[in-house]
Amino acid sequence: MTSVRPKLKPDTPKTVTAWNTASGNVVWMRADQSWTEDASEVGVFTGDAAEAALEHAKTQEGSITDPYFMEVTEEGEVAGRETLRETIRANGPTVPYGVIIQ
Amino acid sequence: MYRYDEFDAQIVKERVDQFRGQVERRLSGEILEDEFKPLRLQNGVYLQLHAYMLRVAIPYGQLNAARMRKLSKIARDYDRGYGHMTTRQNIQYNWVALKDIPDVLEELAEVEMHAIQTSGNCIRNTTSDHFAGATPDEIMDPRPWCEIIRQWSTFHPEFAFLPRKFKIAVNAASHDRAAIRVHDIGLQMIKRGEQVGFEVHVGGGQGRTPIIASMINEFVPEGEILDYLEAVMRVYNRFGRRDNKYKARIKILVTETGPEEFTRLVEEEYAAQQVSEKIALPQEEIDRINAYFAPPAFEDKAETSDAFERAKAADPAFANWTSVNLHPHKVAGYTSVTISLKPIAGLAGDATDSQMAVMAHLAETYGFDDIRVTHAQNVVLPHIALDDLYNVYRELDAAGLATANESLITDMIVCPGLDYCNLANARSIPVGQEIQKVFADPAYEQDIGKLHINISGCINACGHHHVGHIGILGVDRKGEEYYQISLGGRADEKAAVGQIIGKALRHEEVPGAVKTIVDTYRDLRTTKDEKFIEAVERLGVEPFQEAIYAAD
Repeated sequence: MTSVRPKLKPDTPKTVTAWNTASGNVVWMRADQSWTEDASEVGVFTGDAAEAALEHAKTQEGSITDPYFMEVTEEGEVAGRETLRETIRANGPTVPYGVIIQ
Repeated sequence: MYRYDEFDAQIVKERVDQFRGQVERRLSGEILEDEFKPLRLQNGVYLQLHAYMLRVAIPYGQLNAARMRKLSKIARDYDRGYGHMTTRQNIQYNWVALKDIPDVLEELAEVEMHAIQTSGNCIRNTTSDHFAGATPDEIMDPRPWCEIIRQWSTFHPEFAFLPRKFKIAVNAASHDRAAIRVHDIGLQMIKRGEQVGFEVHVGGGQGRTPIIASMINEFVPEGEILDYLEAVMRVYNRFGRRDNKYKARIKILVTETGPEEFTRLVEEEYAAQQVSEKIALPQEEIDRINAYFAPPAFEDKAETSDAFERAKAADPAFANWTSVNLHPHKVAGYTSVTISLKPIAGLAGDATDSQMAVMAHLAETYGFDDIRVTHAQNVVLPHIALDDLYNVYRELDAAGLATANESLITDMIVCPGLDYCNLANARSIPVGQEIQKVFADPAYEQDIGKLHINISGCINACGHHHVGHIGILGVDRKGEEYYQISLGGRADEKAAVGQIIGKALRHEEVPGAVKTIVDTYRDLRTTKDEKFIEAVERLGVEPFQEAIYAAD
């Protein structure tokens, strides 16, 4: 596992996130356990359903890599102490890249 | 520059083919991440925050135009149009797709480059002085020995699975520009009479346990250095801790064993080497490698250049740039040029594909086809005639590469931080940019003089914060970015670990705190000649602590 992230309580709303193996792009799990590169489409899971979602993700580690739980609100917005990290992961660097500003 | 022989070329080609097969099996799901991870790391491929990152080796930081053009092409064709120069003189691509990496490696092999041993618990890129072969303060050119060490350490079967990664640096100048005392092994080349040898420093490093290396041997003759390095590596490989990743570097072994006992173990191992084991590098081989680094065909020139003087008189911006970004050359009429990759509020260490192409063109046209990447994340053209300097400057300026700040406060070492890195706790790049804006006035910056700010986004210290004159470390406090400031670190021949001066500050407080530190220095310096680091060493950190925290 590349990512060892903070443990979340069972009733904390969460989604499953990973990377697309071929491209490296960040992916999130939809409610139907399919994968999306659109952070607005994340599925929200708790309790046993969340564990089942993560287990399902782990069966797909050919096409995706290193799935883990990411805390979200009940509406699917990124939440918790890793908000900054996951926001950057979703939206890209907070600085423009490859551009020289003078 | 060293050129591959048929064996080198074959080895690299086979490695590319092997990795292509491994990637295909990963993409087909035949192997999973846990199995694939060590394989990709052996080829310089990391999985970062939002993408794969490929780290390409630049042996001792040296490139030529063809290699730089290839790096430019890869940035354009496989990445998002830029590359990032690292603190170990390598280049990283932040957005390359795994499926493309075998093709990238194949393209690199065309110009005798690769990503082997840029990750994993092996001996990494041997780094050196970026002015090697050009600077008047060196006793000799260290690059041939860097190359010999590179060849010895590449695919060395005994040292492929060390307790932890291992970094070697070689310096041959009186001023240490290779930060050898914060390397696992730092080698300082010296002469005793006509005999060339190495002062051997072992057990330096940064990360969560910063330690300045211990000198374990004052003089190992050049012909014996590989055998001596083998002895050090064997002691480390045998006794280095494998039970705890955070205690696995050789610095912990040297510290826990004690430098004297560690030295004894090395000497014992060295003495026990059988004659048949000795590498005993023949002089002809040393001569053969030396020949690759023969000085270019410099012309006989005067110390001064009329063209250069006229251009300075006519163009104040050029004159200012030359007062900051040039380093003396050992040959009259030439200079070494630092191309700063630290534009104000830019991306520290990044170069776009078109900028890389410009640098390649300049090296080819004016610079004897020689380019260096520095551990401070800049680029150097080591051999430029003063007569050509204005032409070089104008092309650099047109490409956004003429920032005049080498070794000044806005020329910071900055790790990628939480904007890119999967390990980071806090962002580094925006903090650096905001500090740069405070010191953007060239007159103010140049009044401050030489001052190294180093910024890391986590305790792994890729941004060398421990050895920054001002070090800034990003930490996570319940999901918020805070920054610890240290003072008095340095990475040169007087290497020291900086002292943390107080509680961590919020992101938005950092630029103001740095300004307070700098203005305190300006108030307290004895004269303008007393550099920041000298003032901190004379005064201690207290006046600076007081200036920042007195209101608390």
